Amino acid sequence: MENPNAHIDFLESGPLAPFKKWSAKWSLWPCHFITSCCGVELAHAFACGYDGERLGTLNLGIARQSNFIIIEGTITRKMARALQFVYGQMPDPKFVNVIGACGERGGIFWNSYNITHPSDIVPVDFFIPGCPITPEGLLRGVRALQAKIMGVDKTTIDFKEVELPFEEQLEERLVPTSPKLYAPTPAIKVDIKREVDWDFGKELEDKLKKELIDLYESMTITGVNRIAIKTTPGNLMVVAQKLKEMQFDHVKSVNVIQVPHERKFIVEYMAASYSVEELMPVLVTIFTEIGIKDPKIPSLTSVWESANYSERELHEFFGVLFDGNDWMGRKFLLAPDTPDLPLRKEFKIPEERYAFEEGVEPEFMVPIEPPKDLSVPIWEEFIEKAYDSDEIIVPIGPHHAGSGHLRVTFRVKGDRIVDAIPEPGFVHRSMEKLAENKLYIQNIPLFERLAINDPVNMNLAYVRAVENALGIGVPERAQYLRTTMAELSRIEAFYYDSGIFSLFFGHTTGFMYCMAIREMIIEALMQISGSRSGPSFIVPGGLRRDIPDTVLELIDNMTFALNRRMKKFESIFVYNPVTVARAKGVGVLTKEDAIRCGMVGPFLRASGVNYDVRKIAPYDAYDKVDFEVTTGDDGDCLGRFLGRLAEIKESVKIVKQAVDAVKGIQGQILSDDILGEYKEAASDIKGNFFRVYGNLVLPKGEWTTITEAARGTTLFTLISDGESNVPYRVRVISPCWMNLRGFMEAVKGERYADFWAVYGSFGYFPPEADR
Amino acid sequence: MIDVSGLVSTILNNQVNIPLLYVIYEFLLKIPVIGSIVTFLLSIIPLFDVPIIRLLIGFLLWKPMWVLLIIPGFATLGTMLLILPWLERKLVGRMQWRVGPREIAPRTRGSIQLLADSLRFLCQEVIIHKDAHRLYFLQFPFLYFLPVLLPLLFINAGAVGRPLVPIETPYALQIMVGLISLMPVFIMGVGWSSNNRFAFIGTVREAFMYFAYEIPFIIVILAMIVLFKTSNTVGVVNAQGTYWGIVLNPLAALVFFIAAVMATARLPFEIPEADQELSFGPFIEYSGIAFGLAYVMAYEKMYVLSAIMTMLFLGGGSGPVIPYLGDLSYGIWFVIKTLIILLVMVNLRGVYPRYRLDQALNVGWGAILIFAIVALLWSVVLGVVL
Repeated sequence: MENPNAHIDFLESGPLAPFKKWSAKWSLWPCHFITSCCGVELAHAFACGYDGERLGTLNLGIARQSNFIIIEGTITRKMARALQFVYGQMPDPKFVNVIGACGERGGIFWNSYNITHPSDIVPVDFFIPGCPITPEGLLRGVRALQAKIMGVDKTTIDFKEVELPFEEQLEERLVPTSPKLYAPTPAIKVDIKREVDWDFGKELEDKLKKELIDLYESMTITGVNRIAIKTTPGNLMVVAQKLKEMQFDHVKSVNVIQVPHERKFIVEYMAASYSVEELMPVLVTIFTEIGIKDPKIPSLTSVWESANYSERELHEFFGVLFDGNDWMGRKFLLAPDTPDLPLRKEFKIPEERYAFEEGVEPEFMVPIEPPKDLSVPIWEEFIEKAYDSDEIIVPIGPHHAGSGHLRVTFRVKGDRIVDAIPEPGFVHRSMEKLAENKLYIQNIPLFERLAINDPVNMNLAYVRAVENALGIGVPERAQYLRTTMAELSRIEAFYYDSGIFSLFFGHTTGFMYCMAIREMIIEALMQISGSRSGPSFIVPGGLRRDIPDTVLELIDNMTFALNRRMKKFESIFVYNPVTVARAKGVGVLTKEDAIRCGMVGPFLRASGVNYDVRKIAPYDAYDKVDFEVTTGDDGDCLGRFLGRLAEIKESVKIVKQAVDAVKGIQGQILSDDILGEYKEAASDIKGNFFRVYGNLVLPKGEWTTITEAARGTTLFTLISDGESNVPYRVRVISPCWMNLRGFMEAVKGERYADFWAVYGSFGYFPPEADR
Repeated sequence: MIDVSGLVSTILNNQVNIPLLYVIYEFLLKIPVIGSIVTFLLSIIPLFDVPIIRLLIGFLLWKPMWVLLIIPGFATLGTMLLILPWLERKLVGRMQWRVGPREIAPRTRGSIQLLADSLRFLCQEVIIHKDAHRLYFLQFPFLYFLPVLLPLLFINAGAVGRPLVPIETPYALQIMVGLISLMPVFIMGVGWSSNNRFAFIGTVREAFMYFAYEIPFIIVILAMIVLFKTSNTVGVVNAQGTYWGIVLNPLAALVFFIAAVMATARLPFEIPEADQELSFGPFIEYSGIAFGLAYVMAYEKMYVLSAIMTMLFLGGGSGPVIPYLGDLSYGIWFVIKTLIILLVMVNLRGVYPRYRLDQALNVGWGAILIFAIVALLWSVVLGVVL
């Protein structure tokens, strides 16, 4: 790396130095280079409320026009290339601030196989810690940089040395060992029979047995609404076709589990139905076992298109060849230099340490070198095809004013998009691998980082999976409080998406209004948990602590303030004739296409499918509150957008009801089932947290839970061996990951400029999709 | 041989009439030291029987020169370029519940923000990438000033009977339209020489937009020429003695305004530069001072178009006469009117999202064209028949 201080030196040289320094100080334009989830807080820092423009920092233009990069958190190996490119493209003098803990030494993802350290790639001026950072912190970083430019060379914090009384005779303390317990030869079984009270299941089982006669090896009811069918690799395709004929029209998840000591892979597909109402909550898992050597299995993409991207992903993770999927042998999520087959058990990531012994170098560094090869390949046959048919290729992102952390390569003919090839994975932080190396309770903050603009729902989805496995209930008060928080989080996520939607139309005012509304909800979440967008407040069995009545009062009042600002947003953006003209009839996803691509959440409902996990399989207090599911028929951008606005109103309704109800319910907020002997923690877990949760072990088997997060159904599959206190395998299917397929389908045939309308209308949040 | 003394008398006989200057002059004479300095300066008479200081000031106050240099010429344009982006950021910021630039100079609400930005651009590296056409890439942003600055020669900032115009010609409006039509050619050159995908798309969009607004634009200018029965800018202002152009032909004013918004690529027609789609389209590869020039290009164009609109529709510099200011008061009214149009234009950013290219073309070739033709017919009815 060249002299890291070169840019400051340049400013200080020559007779014009005072002018150069002064102008650089007040004109730090950050470039549009959003690298990870801290981008949400970046948006807040430059929206109303914090207004970074006060300092002269204006988010305008791309690399060539800016002189400042704010690296938002994690730099994955794929993004590292882009970072190097962007930094190279910027004119001197230029400055770099890194925000977020994961930009420093990896933060919560420190031992991930797919991240690098920004400081290895570009010279960094300031690190701003926090996960996620606050906008105040970000702006303070900008101020610190301004001071540095003016020649005030100091750290932002002045440490003072004090003399502390030191006791000589301390007893020697042992370095704590890792509390993790791994079973040496775990027994992995995904179809463990359970006696449940589920009449329709018995019926369905009989029906399935009749249909699939001779095609399956075993059929088990593994829980309410869960059936597991074991079959052979050869019969897999036929079983899938039969299931499809029975109206199991999409796949919710594809999963591969490696069992090294038995030298086998378990490949499972979770089929579900959007067409038949009583089948909606049911998940039918068909699974098969294949040998670990040269694993090959027929791809079910021809039957279920929604399995397509998941198969590509698992091919990269495990090396299982899905015969028939056209992306085999190529990279999809991972970078070219990411280690191969990272999710296999043989691939070990560094262990966490709880204390450092003397003389031992901390193993902080990511064990993998930063990327050297900068080439980002576009597939050759793709280019040839385009040149043959008089089209141009336009790659968008990840450094583009309107791309987010996603790269899409278009083939454009005239103004029409012929084909769009997505390249996700720029924020792939390898959560599934990390989760296998953490205690169950440690995974709560990890999975919350899926979508920090929808944190409570992500938190809830994981916790529900654990609760489901442990079979514990939640006290009524906690149920209502959890519902309140989840709905607040939903509103928050929808407003984030609406803000991005209006920004993609060039309407900055709409964006600012949305951020202002979000600011209020964040305030409520802050009052509850103390954190802006990473509360980690929901724990198995209830909540971390009780929410006082004053805060509930505040939330109640906030719903009224919300309504007023909502109307302002509607009058300036939603009813704007230009918005309607841009969004109406664009990016249409028909009901058939939506089902085929396995869309989830509001985007599925906008296409006319009445599917909402909150209604079909109610959890928490959703069966006790009154709300309606919004569906639309158009399936276009406007429909998707207005549908979510309508859902916000329903969410506000739920929040009001839940807050009203919870005032009348007193009692504990943590279930006795989980507390065991620590009854004193019933209203506040503080002080007993590790004792209660530290050694959770889930019963043997597979535990799949679906939860309705803001952007759709979130699926968590936990596989436990019944002995270890860490999960054997966690499979996360986040809503955006499922929506990616439909998103690409909706883009095809539209005009080039419509890509942003479609993008905004899907609320695609790359960190959530990439996991 | 040039008749120098004749030229001198031409200059001195055609002076801007600002009574305030005489008041200042007499006041200066009364101050002890400065008064004697002024008297001394006035005593230096090398030739032509005129003090040299009088000759210098006289040259600046020579009407065509004063109009070109001060109002509405370069000085006003420069000031506008410095404060307009700041005003835009402040106003849009206020619409968005924000403050906008402030900390740089808190007392004056950050009014020198653009100074810092332009200084920074000036001191930054100018990158010419490998694929660019080096010569054109560098020269187009500078050449662009020609079609922008030349129309200033024909703008009449005066009122009825008191013209303030550098060059008076019967073909002034036609020449201005010709020059304005040249502007997109330079933007296309910029995009072409950048040799970048997004620049290419942006350039094509610019070309599409060019035709969509240019034809209605020319038709409304024609409508105003028919209405005023002259294309001389002095005659145009004189014809608005009783009623302003906007009252006589409001439709033409509307079309002119929309065409101006399209021509300057402001929202909702910010299509060639679409930040989120093309990241500044034609200007994507520009950095440093070259981008700084590209950044103010749009504002220059806006100023010229607003000035023409003030002249054609808002009666030029007509307005209540401010005592002691003489000709300057017309100039002030002219600038105020222009500024109002400019502020309306920049405020659109806070209100409208961006149209798609085909929708904007529909607007240009559909509604706006029809309105322009109706405006022309109305002008014919009003100006010729009645």
